[in-house]
Amino acid sequence: MEKVIYRIKRFDGTKEWYQEYEFPYEKGKTILWGLIKIKEEIDPSLCFTSACRSAICGSCGVRVNGNAVLACKTSLDKMLETYKTNKLILEPLNNFKVIRDLVVDWEQKFERMKEVKPWLIPSKNSDKTKGFKQSEKQFNMIANPTDCILCGCCISECGQLSINREGFLEPFIFSKSYRFTVESRDEAPGEHLEPALENGLWKCIRCMQCVTKCPKGVRPAEHINGLRKESMKMGHRDNKGARHAYAFHDDIQKTGRLNEMTLPIKTEGLVSTMGRIPFALRLLKKGKIKPFNMPKPVNGIEQVRTIYRLAQNQKEER
Amino acid sequence: MLNYDIVVVGGGGAGMRAALEASQNNDLQVAVISKTFPTRSHTGAAQGGINAALGFRDETDSVEKHFRDTVKGSDFLGDQDAIEFFASNMPECVLELEYFGVPFSRDEKGRIAQRPFGGASSPRTCYSADKTGHVILHTLYEQCLKNGVKFLNEWFLLELVVEDKKLQGLVAMDIRSGEIHPINARAVVIATGGFGRIYWSRTTNAFNMTGDGTAACFEAGIPIKDPEFVQFHPTGLAGTGVLLSEACRGEGGYLINKNGERFMSRYAPEKMELGPRDLVSRAIETEIKEGRGFGQGINAYIHLDLRHLGKKKILQRLPQVRQLAIEFEGVDPIEEPVPIRPSCHYMMGGIHVSDYRTSSTPIEGIHAAGECACVSVHGANRLGGNSLADVILFGKFAGIGARESARDRSFSSGARVQKAAEKWMKHFNTMREKTRGNDVIAIRNKMAETMWNNVGIFRTESEMAEALDTINQLLEDYKDCYIGVSDKKYNMAFINYVEIGNLLKLAKAVAMGAINRKESRGSHSRADYPKRDDQNFLRHTMITKEEDEYKLDYLPVKITKYQPEERRY
Repeated sequence: MEKVIYRIKRFDGTKEWYQEYEFPYEKGKTILWGLIKIKEEIDPSLCFTSACRSAICGSCGVRVNGNAVLACKTSLDKMLETYKTNKLILEPLNNFKVIRDLVVDWEQKFERMKEVKPWLIPSKNSDKTKGFKQSEKQFNMIANPTDCILCGCCISECGQLSINREGFLEPFIFSKSYRFTVESRDEAPGEHLEPALENGLWKCIRCMQCVTKCPKGVRPAEHINGLRKESMKMGHRDNKGARHAYAFHDDIQKTGRLNEMTLPIKTEGLVSTMGRIPFALRLLKKGKIKPFNMPKPVNGIEQVRTIYRLAQNQKEER
Repeated sequence: MLNYDIVVVGGGGAGMRAALEASQNNDLQVAVISKTFPTRSHTGAAQGGINAALGFRDETDSVEKHFRDTVKGSDFLGDQDAIEFFASNMPECVLELEYFGVPFSRDEKGRIAQRPFGGASSPRTCYSADKTGHVILHTLYEQCLKNGVKFLNEWFLLELVVEDKKLQGLVAMDIRSGEIHPINARAVVIATGGFGRIYWSRTTNAFNMTGDGTAACFEAGIPIKDPEFVQFHPTGLAGTGVLLSEACRGEGGYLINKNGERFMSRYAPEKMELGPRDLVSRAIETEIKEGRGFGQGINAYIHLDLRHLGKKKILQRLPQVRQLAIEFEGVDPIEEPVPIRPSCHYMMGGIHVSDYRTSSTPIEGIHAAGECACVSVHGANRLGGNSLADVILFGKFAGIGARESARDRSFSSGARVQKAAEKWMKHFNTMREKTRGNDVIAIRNKMAETMWNNVGIFRTESEMAEALDTINQLLEDYKDCYIGVSDKKYNMAFINYVEIGNLLKLAKAVAMGAINRKESRGSHSRADYPKRDDQNFLRHTMITKEEDEYKLDYLPVKITKYQPEERRY
């Protein structure tokens, strides 16, 4: 390969366009190297952000061929090989307001982050001059979420956020919430958790894009899961999400099977479910649901229940 | 005109720590201006840890030992009153960080974990795996959010306005709108980090480490102290200069030449790989020079071998190091040794701080903290784990000092600040309209090349004189530059142009300080003067700028307790 082409989505504050830049291929380079080459040798007006070039400052998140990456640690060779091409499309991260070219606006994200009080609320009787004790296990609970570098890759790729920007927090904010909720030195976990609960905690669709796209191995979807568990432990059981989870839990324990007829009633309540009758009739017509089929316990239900008992006997460890 | 009681310039560790302290009682208007978002700052790249004699891992450790190690590490150029103050206050500062919520790694008793580091007589480096700077930076940001600190993000410092050695205010550009603002301020804290980018690609520093605050202070008449002392970190990745933490050596990594020898036995028979950075960097370069490195010339390197530590320890203690080696050098340290070579890492010198208790400078109202400042605690060579410590401690005291300044000083009329802003507006317009001139990038690359080749790890008179000539020529060329972008909003080409101007001014100070220091001390190693010369050079270099003239002066070192002796490891 002799030439590489970056097709870059540009924006000057008013208009948008795609612009192609061609430059000589070099082996062993990164996506960021190409951007710098363009800026220094072809077009100094191209805007993007980068700083540390070693994957810790979180500045250089961009989309390459529709996938969010950190430009500094993404191998150009691997990208060209994966897409079997010499032309890559670079665009700003999704679900952000764009400022210029590949530069996005973080201000609103930080404003929303404040909702979960992303700071330690130390207990009243702790002492600034003495420090805390924290076990290795307790530290390990917060190790993964504190790896977040605020690069925005999870925001760009989030399946829920793409259709629901108001009612769902950015995945990294759930990670922040989780970190302080399970932090052993914090005395007010509810203050970090409740804003998450009110802002879509049960709405995550588990597409796992936040986990697979995170350049630092942070697992927001798992933190969302953890927050759900914590919320139920704190007694937040009377909401759709928790009721849905309990419906699964109870059905499987009872019969080993999910009862699809009672599931919506348990989750949404009888009145809301009534509103879904036209939809149910359409499903019925196509043979997708069987209203009078009450599942009987599966063979080996005792073994299923044994699993439940074992799980319940496992002491919750913190 | 914007009015703030205190403006903190720089949103890294020192800046945010200062802002936290300054905004404590919500009785003063405090703003942080930062050219990036605060969490992008280079404090986040610090990996290994922060020194404090907590004595958790080694009960025999003490403030006294931290004090002594730092004096010795500085090759006796550090000011001992300041170092004692520093070592004494560090335990409290680290416990404060813990209270802010920094997720430190833990020992078996649940206390903050500590590890051995180069040049330290006890394991006192507190850490969070190998991303200590990252977690401290993010925690400080969280605390600033909690306290409602005002951030002006993507604002760029252009000038500090001073009259009769007193601060009047500053001029800054809001990068997004392209507007240039005069700002009236009673006190300013400069916390803009180092300027390792004078070596452009041969540095562990981020692209934006261009010494903007240091250059602004220099222009405002504050001396630059000890600029010739540049720390080269022994373990930069060979291909890119990206940093691999000192924790690699702290956790027991070996340095190996092409004959398979642990060559440090020749240079620091006792401490071996845990010698201080200046000594280890020179040892590596000597091995390469004498033909015992791998590869040739600029591409030569030696091996950092971590394999004997085992997979578990590497994954637990050095996870980021492993990822960096895999991603940027294509080598998994669990399986193979990593090619490394020294890379410019840290500026011991910087803005002259005249009172360490308040991080004050000779200009009333201007304070400075962190890598941009020179207290001097690090002297001729900084110990690993002492820079995060410096940032946190002197950041805090700069915040305290700025509060005092703001209380004691009144606002200026603003006339001078307004005039300075107008001058910059005019300059910005001229640069936008210009259609020809010298290429800024070419100037930058020439500066970096001459600095690396001639004012690098080993120095001689003739080479440095050549570098100084080149820099002088580049300063001339710089006066007639062409930036190539006419936009007002988000004109990064203009910002980069100003940054390179700042680097050039500082590179000249480095070369000048280095030529005139006719001895070898700490990181400053001269082939023509291989010995330390306490008779003539146990003193700080002070360089002052008056228009285009650079003036050289000296300041005595404060010695309170430890008389200079030969430094052996």
